[in-house]
Amino acid sequence: MAATGTLTIPQKSKMDAVLVLRIAIIASLLVFWQLLSMSGLLYEDVVPGLPQITAGLYRLLTTTEFYVNLKVTAGEILAASLIGGLTGMIAGLSLGGSYFMERAFERYFYYLGPTPKIIFFPLMIMWFGVGSGSKVAMGAVSCFFPVALAVAAGMRRIPPILIRVGESFRANRWQMLTKVHLPAMREPVVNGFRLGFGVALIGVLLAETKLSNQGLGFLVIQNYQRFDMPGMYALLIAIFVIAVAVNAALGRLSRGGRRR
Amino acid sequence: MNDMIRPEQIAQPPVTAPEPMLVIDHVTKRFETPDGPVVAVDNISLTVGRGEFVSIIGPSGCGKSTLFNLVGGLLSISDGTIRIDGEAINGPHKSIGMVFQEDATFPWRTVIDNVAFPLELQGMAKGERLERARHFVSLVGLHGFEKRYPAELSGGMRQRVSIARTLAAEPKLLLMDEPFAALDEQTRLLLGDKVLQIQQELNQTVLLITHNITEAVQLSDRVLIMTYRPGRTKRIALIELPRPRTSEMLSSDTFGRYVAEVWADLREEASRGMQDAERGSR
Repeated sequence: MAATGTLTIPQKSKMDAVLVLRIAIIASLLVFWQLLSMSGLLYEDVVPGLPQITAGLYRLLTTTEFYVNLKVTAGEILAASLIGGLTGMIAGLSLGGSYFMERAFERYFYYLGPTPKIIFFPLMIMWFGVGSGSKVAMGAVSCFFPVALAVAAGMRRIPPILIRVGESFRANRWQMLTKVHLPAMREPVVNGFRLGFGVALIGVLLAETKLSNQGLGFLVIQNYQRFDMPGMYALLIAIFVIAVAVNAALGRLSRGGRRR
Repeated sequence: MNDMIRPEQIAQPPVTAPEPMLVIDHVTKRFETPDGPVVAVDNISLTVGRGEFVSIIGPSGCGKSTLFNLVGGLLSISDGTIRIDGEAINGPHKSIGMVFQEDATFPWRTVIDNVAFPLELQGMAKGERLERARHFVSLVGLHGFEKRYPAELSGGMRQRVSIARTLAAEPKLLLMDEPFAALDEQTRLLLGDKVLQIQQELNQTVLLITHNITEAVQLSDRVLIMTYRPGRTKRIALIELPRPRTSEMLSSDTFGRYVAEVWADLREEASRGMQDAERGSR
């Protein structure tokens, strides 16, 4: 008992030290920002003080404008992730499941994957219009590639023995997919979706800042054009918090359910 | 010597075998390689009777794992036939349950869910399959570990999960490929005892592939000794040790004699294999 006690105490205090350091970093950044704002080295309008930003955040969160646009953007990101994720998954399964498909197509995926998708935006506008359609398309195209590549790689990393076990028990194709392949590649697939969601978010917001009349990206640009810097910073903080929260939730999903 | 070697049994099924369940009939397996066809299994014949425990032993590279995959239906036969209860095998058969050499448990499933896997595939209702799985978990001595994940178990326990999972499908023939090869000697002996006990309890027919002579003699009624490349039948040895057997018999004189006799046959083949390997590495 005594031994476990001495073991857990230093570990707990180490955890506390990490937490303290994390808070300290945020606190010192805030202090630095405030000092920079007060120093007069930069225009105060460009670097507003913390009180102005807090006021901006309050203003933002109490107007309906923010929520209306948040809903638009969230819907676009969701649709983009679903479309890009599902098609990416199907593409990844066929790439990972067949050596022929891999040899024939995977190269293109690796070339197109890192290409900035925003260069296709003019095309998307022509095809899907200036409304939500082109934003969803941008997000879906961005999401497609990381999901496809992650699923293909995950499929190849499945230990062959587990597939042989499934075969020896005479699992049919559907059972093989749902009871062997998918659970065996859960981690890489969820990580692929996480990555896909991240780039879908980037794609949608980027498209919104380029040409649109609604959405959070549109609000950012609108605030910028009005030179409402506190409002813009407030928006950036809000978007940042949302992105972090969703990513953390997805991360939990990839780790959960399976103890190590 | 003579009570063991019965050359006439090499070609024909032994008279002692009670109603043959598995018949391996002049089976050959060729693999196509860039350097031309390679014969891995050459004209092997063997029958396994109901309730019998038969081992196939041979040096590394003799094609015994190929034979395992042929009987399991995971590889196609080039010549000859394999029948179970008169039915020719062309693909995994429901009457044959395979246990693999590698750790083959599903890491994302608990012990009980691993064992219930084949029942789940059959579409058995949840309550029924869990009850049945629980029975087989206890049978391999893992009672109390139902909710654990494979990563929390030792190698020997994981292999027992695999055996329980295969038994849960209630195969007529339990087909095992060096199931204890990755385990340490003590675990191997204890697990051998466990398998014997289960075999006795279920009157399970077993075909075991191994390279371990002690294991083969300890467990089997008959041992088929394979030659090194191409894999042919060298001899089928009858092990007439009384049952029930345990690892405590390992020190008896008769046991030692059987081991020595099997080794005498195997030695020649193993050294051929070793020379081959040395030539290859030169």
